[in-house]
Amino acid sequence: MSDAAATITRDRQRLEMSALSAPAVIFTVAMIAFPVVYTIWLGFQTFSSTGKQSFAGLANYSKLISDYEFWHGLWITIALFVLSLVLQLVFGVWLALVLFHAKRLPGIVRSLFISPFMMPPVVAGMMWLVILDPSLGAANYILQSLGLPPSDWLASPSLVIPTIALIDSWQWTPYVALIVLGGLQSLPPSVYEAAQIDGATPFKTFPRITLPLLLPTIVTAAILRSVDLLRFFDIIYITTQGGPGNASNTLNIYGFRVGFEFFNIGYASALMLTLTAIVFGAVLAFNRLRGAVAW
Amino acid sequence: MTDAVNTDRWIRRLNLVQLVLAGIIIMAPTVWMVLSSFKPSFEVTAYPPTLVFTPTLDNYVELTKTTPFLSYALNSLIVTVGSTALGLLFGIPAAFAVSWTRITWPAILTLAARMAPGTLFLLPWYVMFRQVGMIGSYTALILSHAVITLPIVIWVLLPSFDGIPRSIFEAAQVDGCRVTRILWRIALPLVASGVAVAAILAFVFSWNYFLFALVLSNGDTKTLIAAAFNFIGEGSTQWGALMAAATLIALPPLVLAALVQRWLVSGLTLGAVKG
Repeated sequence: MSDAAATITRDRQRLEMSALSAPAVIFTVAMIAFPVVYTIWLGFQTFSSTGKQSFAGLANYSKLISDYEFWHGLWITIALFVLSLVLQLVFGVWLALVLFHAKRLPGIVRSLFISPFMMPPVVAGMMWLVILDPSLGAANYILQSLGLPPSDWLASPSLVIPTIALIDSWQWTPYVALIVLGGLQSLPPSVYEAAQIDGATPFKTFPRITLPLLLPTIVTAAILRSVDLLRFFDIIYITTQGGPGNASNTLNIYGFRVGFEFFNIGYASALMLTLTAIVFGAVLAFNRLRGAVAW
Repeated sequence: MTDAVNTDRWIRRLNLVQLVLAGIIIMAPTVWMVLSSFKPSFEVTAYPPTLVFTPTLDNYVELTKTTPFLSYALNSLIVTVGSTALGLLFGIPAAFAVSWTRITWPAILTLAARMAPGTLFLLPWYVMFRQVGMIGSYTALILSHAVITLPIVIWVLLPSFDGIPRSIFEAAQVDGCRVTRILWRIALPLVASGVAVAAILAFVFSWNYFLFALVLSNGDTKTLIAAAFNFIGEGSTQWGALMAAATLIALPPLVLAALVQRWLVSGLTLGAVKG
């Protein structure tokens, strides 16, 4: 084949390849990129009670800085994020180690372990709403039969965030565990053999060898969970809608309510863009961390 | 030597105890939900809670009588199947092209969409769909849910396409085979199992998705998940019917996920981890 003919073939092939990704790219631009640009524009608008919109400059953003609910929502978002992430990473690593040492995992056990995070978060919310009912729930019955005082769980302003973190951790700890298990299974066995010959006990090998080698996997799990945790919505909306009072009013819940309950689309856009910046900032920070712990 | 064997046995037992404990914590709430759905109404709210009871289907009967449960389920099915089909239609060729050309930005673009909070898109969609009178239409719901399914399809299929030896394609190319033909006739049959996993994961996540249908559906097109809210409102004293609804809503994703459990985790991490 001559050079010219080869170039023509290559060009045609490139064109055909572009045609293959075109539907996905056009769809994403139409459904994501264009709407996001539109949201940025909406963030500079105000909507009157009659639905008339007018240009407002940075008014929505200066409102945000002086809005108590925004700062409260940011604090709630971060508290829920840190609490849930720590619970899921600690118990996820523990569960992964338990699964790893069980050697053989029948399919049925695996199915059982994935069932919490494959069920709709909304269903998890409905289920825990009944279990954690302050007066008739099974959770308080168990507490009382153990001689412990009953709790108000989701109905308590001070306990609602830890309770939601517990529900989310029930759902997603097995997911973290399965990711970490994948990391454990890919560790070179020679490292352990060498440590064993040197007389290291399991209590010494875990913090000194296993954990450092696992860190990249753990950070990956942390990134995947962070993205979901910072925009946490389903379980809160189904169980408390941000309550009691505003005790579980995360930024995402607050933004949703400003937009679709009070129909202040302009201010809601400013809130959501801020939250999106926080999510992407967190992902970038974790990515740096992953680079630092890679081996 | 016997000491070492004994220690080994104890460690194994301790591990088994922990495994069983974790299994109980993971399973108990779901088992409780399913049990409650089969309890007679006076026993669902009994305190102390009962474990032994005569199972009944009353809650399920009541659920279908007092709520349009079946039409909600049909709506869910239409939206989920539609968005999964759309995700596969756009995602399969895109994944193939990304894998072949190593030009990754189309895949990363769809992934960025997965990372942003859904409300970010929902606000402009709401304004735009309202302007063209599409709020409450299946089209709006299917298009919005395809935003969920498309990145799943692309990222689950990428490693599958990457796993095919390039020589197969190059040979076909030398024979004058067009790229589209290579995709449908040669590559796709080779990644059939990957397509199945992608389709099931897309189905599960589209079925489970709450936020978009909450705003974009109306009384006629409400999906099961968006309607869950109504069940809670009506069911404040009707825990039996509420748990029956929860059980039925969770059933399709759980059954499907069990089918592909072996490939699920690597698929779910969108290629970040090979499980």
